[in-house]
Amino acid sequence: MLVTPTLLLAGCERTLNALLARDPAAPSRLAALAGSRLLVRLEQPHLELIIHYHYAGLDLMRSDGTDETDVDAVVELTPETFSEWLSGASIERLMFDGKLAVRGRIQLLEATRDLLFDLDIDWESELARWLGDMPAHSLAEGLRRAARWGLRAKDELMQDVSEYVFEEARLLPGRQQRNVLREYLTDLEIATDRLEARFQRLQRTLAKQQTTTQESHP
Amino acid sequence: MSPTEKRTTDFGFQEVPIDEKASRVADVFHSVAARYDVMNDLMSMGIHRLWKRLTIERAGVRPGHHVLDIAGGTGDLTLKFSRLVGPRGKVVLADINASMLKVGRDKLMDNGVGGNVEYVQANAENLPFPDNSFDCITIAFGLRNVTDKDAALRSMARVLKPGGRLLVLEFSKPNNPLLSKAYDEYSFRLLPKMGEMVAGDGESYRYLAESIRMHPDQETLKGMIEAAGLDRVEYTNLTGGIVALHRGIKL
Repeated sequence: MLVTPTLLLAGCERTLNALLARDPAAPSRLAALAGSRLLVRLEQPHLELIIHYHYAGLDLMRSDGTDETDVDAVVELTPETFSEWLSGASIERLMFDGKLAVRGRIQLLEATRDLLFDLDIDWESELARWLGDMPAHSLAEGLRRAARWGLRAKDELMQDVSEYVFEEARLLPGRQQRNVLREYLTDLEIATDRLEARFQRLQRTLAKQQTTTQESHP
Repeated sequence: MSPTEKRTTDFGFQEVPIDEKASRVADVFHSVAARYDVMNDLMSMGIHRLWKRLTIERAGVRPGHHVLDIAGGTGDLTLKFSRLVGPRGKVVLADINASMLKVGRDKLMDNGVGGNVEYVQANAENLPFPDNSFDCITIAFGLRNVTDKDAALRSMARVLKPGGRLLVLEFSKPNNPLLSKAYDEYSFRLLPKMGEMVAGDGESYRYLAESIRMHPDQETLKGMIEAAGLDRVEYTNLTGGIVALHRGIKL
């Protein structure tokens, strides 16, 4: 039980550092951040986490009653705010909405997001480490060709299926046909409404005439 | 106990002359130094990394701190501490054994650690540092190999700054009888065989198992740390008490 969060943090740290090691932009970003410490307080589940940056990556540690003066920035956030932040909401907007409390060097937060979410991993160089330059390049080219072919094939397949369904099998109407149908139906609806109104007016007129006749011939 | 009676000390389950323990322990570690990391991973199934990680979390080390890693061996804790203290801080990796220190230094250099780490071959009983010099001292899986543990703890308390933390990570007594039984079977039967196969030295690993049984239990060690002059001593059992992490603060 005691070691479970530590185990999870160790896993996260290892994965993040492995990814950062493969991002060509990471070393310069890490060099700018090296030595900085960010304390993240999550309300639910209650978790205090220190992110310590160094030249080769980051260390994730549970905070052991860390004083706020020992870190460069403190972030207090709820899980909803966290997911909004990850999905790209600006820190300023979250702060003005009162969802995010940040103290200290706020730029550290932006830099963290840049570091972790602008990852552009150089898979080819990692492959080259295992297979050698030429085979890795051939394999990467092959994979890129396969990916391009896959995308093209997917587009073509979608188009063929739609053409078959609309034009040949006539299983579903096309967008234009649907619009025309909708216009007809709207016209029909208006005409029916008018007819109904006319009936009601006729009914009222007839009822009035009947009343007048009854009054003149009692 | 009179000085004449205390001429021997434990070396595993054997009693050896007090002057001999250090050299016999040194022989054990000279013998296993090269394969030390592999054997640690194999014997603990990698859990030793978690125990050490927890020690680092509890150490509360910050940039600029001075840290002493006694019996630091192959430098697992030092590597992480050197990043945490940054260029303004300092980490001293101390070990009584030159072979272990050499392996540790090579490993740290391979990991790009340089500027803020010093290597010192030192006996934990007589640490060659001025009083009040470190913010944090750690000794991971080293205390049980020290001949006079009380002297070592006193020496650590001396070099620790007021407000500094001492962390002792060491094998201890499992609190579950079933786990204890399984652990005994594992360490007395399987461990020496693994040592024989991987490191080519079953005897050293037999010593390891025996020395763990001779090491004081959680409460005794807590008392020893308090007697050495540290306060607010507390311990955390890890993996059912197979290992305990003691932490004391010098007030």
